[in-house]
Amino acid sequence: MQNVVLQSSVAFAQTSLKPELGFINGMAIANRYADPDVESRHAAKLTICDVSCLSRFAIKGPAAADTLKAKGVELPASANSWSRHDETLVMRLGSSEFLLEDPIGVQQCKGLSEQLQSGDGVHVVLRNDASFILSGELLDELLAQVCAIDLSGPMLADNRLAMTSIAGVSVIVLRQEVAGQSLMRLWCDGTFGVYLWETLLDIIKELGGGPVGFNQFFNSN
Amino acid sequence: MTLRIAEQENEWINRDMPLTFEYEGQQIEAYEGDTISSALWAADIKVLGRSFKYHRARGLLSFANHDVNALMTDGQDTNIRADVIPVTHGMQLTAVNTDGGVLKDKGRYIDKISAFLPVGFYYKTFHKPKWMFPFWEDKIRKAAGLGKVNFNYPRITRAKRYAHCDVLVVGAGASGLSAALEAADAGSQVILVDENRKIGGSLTYDMAADVNTGSLLKQLTENVLNHPNIRVIADAYAGGYYTDHLVPIVEKRGITKVRAGSIIVASGVFEQPPVFRYNDLPGVMLSSAAQRLVNRYSVKPFTKGIVVTANDYGYRAALDLAAANVEIVAVIDMRQTGADGDLTAKVKQAGIAVHLGSCIYEVVPTSDKMGVSAVVVCAYDEATAEADLHQQVVLHCDGVAMSAGWAPAAALLYQAGTQMRYDEAVQQFVPNQLPDGVFAAGKVNGIFELEQRMLDGKRAGAEASRYLGKTTVSPVEVTAHRGNSPSHPYPIVNHPKAKNFVDFDEDIQVKDFINAAKEGFDNIELMKRFTTVGMGPSQGKHSNMNAIRILARIRDLPVEKIGSTTARPFFHPTPIGHLGGRGFHPHRLTAMHEWHVKEGAVMMEAGVWMRPAYYLPAGVKISNQQAVQQEALAVRKSAGMIDGSTLGKIEVFGKDAAAFLERFYTGKFASQKVGNSRIAMLLDEAGVIVDDGVAVRLDQDKFYVSTNSSNAATVYREMQRNLQLWGMQVTLVNLTGVMSAMTLAGPSSRSILSEVTELDLLDEAFPQGAYREALVAGVKARVMRVAFVSDLAFEIHVPSSAGLHVWQKIMDAGKTYGIRPFGTDAQRLLRLEMGHHLISHDTDGLTNPFEAHADSLVAMDKPFFIGQRSLKILQKKPLKKKLVRFVLDTNFSEMPKECNLVIENGEIAGRVTSISFSEYVNRVIGFAFVLPEQAKAGNQFAIRTDSGRMEMAEVVEDAFLSLSQG
Repeated sequence: MQNVVLQSSVAFAQTSLKPELGFINGMAIANRYADPDVESRHAAKLTICDVSCLSRFAIKGPAAADTLKAKGVELPASANSWSRHDETLVMRLGSSEFLLEDPIGVQQCKGLSEQLQSGDGVHVVLRNDASFILSGELLDELLAQVCAIDLSGPMLADNRLAMTSIAGVSVIVLRQEVAGQSLMRLWCDGTFGVYLWETLLDIIKELGGGPVGFNQFFNSN
Repeated sequence: MTLRIAEQENEWINRDMPLTFEYEGQQIEAYEGDTISSALWAADIKVLGRSFKYHRARGLLSFANHDVNALMTDGQDTNIRADVIPVTHGMQLTAVNTDGGVLKDKGRYIDKISAFLPVGFYYKTFHKPKWMFPFWEDKIRKAAGLGKVNFNYPRITRAKRYAHCDVLVVGAGASGLSAALEAADAGSQVILVDENRKIGGSLTYDMAADVNTGSLLKQLTENVLNHPNIRVIADAYAGGYYTDHLVPIVEKRGITKVRAGSIIVASGVFEQPPVFRYNDLPGVMLSSAAQRLVNRYSVKPFTKGIVVTANDYGYRAALDLAAANVEIVAVIDMRQTGADGDLTAKVKQAGIAVHLGSCIYEVVPTSDKMGVSAVVVCAYDEATAEADLHQQVVLHCDGVAMSAGWAPAAALLYQAGTQMRYDEAVQQFVPNQLPDGVFAAGKVNGIFELEQRMLDGKRAGAEASRYLGKTTVSPVEVTAHRGNSPSHPYPIVNHPKAKNFVDFDEDIQVKDFINAAKEGFDNIELMKRFTTVGMGPSQGKHSNMNAIRILARIRDLPVEKIGSTTARPFFHPTPIGHLGGRGFHPHRLTAMHEWHVKEGAVMMEAGVWMRPAYYLPAGVKISNQQAVQQEALAVRKSAGMIDGSTLGKIEVFGKDAAAFLERFYTGKFASQKVGNSRIAMLLDEAGVIVDDGVAVRLDQDKFYVSTNSSNAATVYREMQRNLQLWGMQVTLVNLTGVMSAMTLAGPSSRSILSEVTELDLLDEAFPQGAYREALVAGVKARVMRVAFVSDLAFEIHVPSSAGLHVWQKIMDAGKTYGIRPFGTDAQRLLRLEMGHHLISHDTDGLTNPFEAHADSLVAMDKPFFIGQRSLKILQKKPLKKKLVRFVLDTNFSEMPKECNLVIENGEIAGRVTSISFSEYVNRVIGFAFVLPEQAKAGNQFAIRTDSGRMEMAEVVEDAFLSLSQG
């Protein structure tokens, strides 16, 4: 068995920023780009953080909901909404499609990946998400420049999520609290990750913000 | 001399911030907040530009963003609207459309020969004699246009924003402010937009010397600015109306696309000039322009002036001017009946004479024809529009303020689909039937009296709230207009010597309309195009209404029967940079992109993907053609690897998976064994080939299908669509971006791959077309034996996050074998050598399988597949073309190119679809469409090159590799 180093799909865009790297779930991830004070200022103003390294599990098919329930996973009641099962984020993308994501230190997704296989009416779906946190006081100004729908209002209230287009890329977005901060989560096809990171970061920098590393929101140590 | 006056209560200039700028070489002093025009006017400079056609001297007209004869260039920017653009320190301005400066413009001679340039002259004059047309075309092109395009203009990215609100209010005058407050009080989120730097609309300049106006303005402004539910966007205009209440707001920083729940249009009206001889001279301006000068910028429009009016508004203007110590010689009222008694009394109290039933017959220009020295006042017959020269008086003055009426700023309403009607009470088009969610308020709605305007705004705000479901909001009643009409039905004064201008953009006079009608252009749309009225930069904002009135009188029809034209979005000129804005051009990168870049890959766009075309590593001195040949030779002699992550990859699973593929593709899949692959060719309903890929059977109810790189999204979408139509139990998962793929090809590929996997790769265990799952470089991989670019090749699919790792490990393992990465250019050559055509490259939007020797992939005996019905029809018809492999004669002189034509007996018989020199085969090889009778192996055919030479080629049957192998 060889030692496999997984790459964030956004890694190429981050190379020139010379980040301090860490390894989460086998993936090299940018832990920090700058002095913590600078990153804190970015986080308060406007920032983007690559969290593609978080573990995910996706399942699809007419029996998907029952399969997850049988494993004791509490599901959001309706499509296009999310909930927490313990600490795991459970997103219901449709009536029969789910995406789960573990925070650091939680093994729910890994467990499900090992326990569940595709079968009658259920399909375990491979994913390669580029996943970002967007936050800061100018978040709505950023969203106003990249998204045609109003993500600041009720669209994402009450644990709703939206599948929409940001800067021309199909994404899943929701709002949540991480480390006491209200922020936006975003997932897109990883092959668009570099483009979306660069596009969003360009605007973020114009607005006086900057990137932050994984450690800004999670303790990877 | 300065025309600047003492500080006015609500002036917009900052006297603490003086500045200087240059105009036509002259240093001018101004204040921060001045527009270019106000600063020049304050400095007693009144020639602000030259007219477009006759190059007549022009000054202020509207002072409201429509003074298209006062456009400036400041070096980088051109066509700067001097009437509204703030002047800044250090500006170096010149007027556009002059030759030799605004005062000594050489083009002014055209005014002297204007009699020879009648309406429509350029339609009729320059095409006879025909040989003279190039001469005239050159002259006309040079004369056309305003300003000069700066081809070195920097690209400045303007962000495009989206905004959302419950109610969008366009116009922040008295009615708009009231509407915004009413809607906001009801709980709606309101965006209020206004083109002026400060909100308030006419409250900021139309005072009629009443001090209460300022108090009202202050109160309304404070209420709006302090309201938590109202967002004010000033110094911006609503550029158009689009479906579902989408309105682009154009600001200096860029465009904001506002999606509103409802819209209230309170955009007001454009003042319309009365028409009399020399109404265009510098110093003659609309009354509202004079009021703006005085009350916003503290500048006198003139020192001793005349107010000519055809409504009560002129009296209000006279009072404002008199209050600012401008000497008003007289108010010339074109109506016999005069104004409201109270207004008349106030004007007379101010010492101003009032002449009823009179008109300005003509303005007497100064000797240089660049100003006003006097006006000739005559008795006026409203019925005939004629002046009675027997009753005339000459009044000396240096300026004229003119009022005749208003035209609604209704562009947004028209664009939204509002039905308008002509209201005789106000002599104006007003909304008759508004679309759902669109409301009008204030002057644009035909409501003019201040209190009623505010009430009308409140009504619109209440109606918008109720439309949005706030049904508890009480409706508001508004009284229709009473009293004198704010607009005169025909404020025109005929003059035998003309120069009584209707359109100041295009120098169109009353006689031009009469002549156009005589020539048969007596429909408003035809007349517009023949006379060009309303086709200048101001788009008829101060000319269309008079044009309609003139045409109505010519045809003896009511104005309503003439109708009006619609200004399309954007209704005001908008910079192209704003329209372009920040562009989003999504592109996809594979997991190995970083590696490719480091290794010198020259990237190309392949659909939305970035792919290596070929590699030119640093320090290697070879041409791109050499690089391609070397990459291809590496595959033939040892091994090469290409990043194939861009292939479409779709999982199809469910109990109907095989049956679904049978219907979707041309081949058979029900009998396909698990662990095997088959070619999957997709047709459209017309039987045209649209894609080919490979379908691997992973399990009885699970397939893994690949598509061409550029077709992944299309094929997936078609699968989803047909799945819905057919109602089959199948689930689709698009893994295109999830799985990285790489093809390791060449005679050493098996040896190299065996160093990173324990999978048995020998032919017996892993034959052509087989599929296996195994660890490759420690990563769970899907491996296929393929033969697209080489007889021995392995396609390896792994999760994208491990793509770079696996790629690197294989490249490391291949070093001792001389492995090379190869790009898409080499791939195209390699597949050509193998004799494989590329869908959409060697085929086109008309090619069916029978023409592309793909018959064997079509199972016509199936009950159904997409395109089968068309193929059954095509099968019975003779072929029109056939795709063949060919080699070029070794003695060719000129290398043909793709798309060069195949010629047979002087006729087009086909075309080259692919062609390339193969170093390995040592021949030029390719694909071409030829006539079916030319398709037999050994047949010779001719290809016509770009220069017209005929090069001979020969049809070959087998793969080109056999040529090399002897």
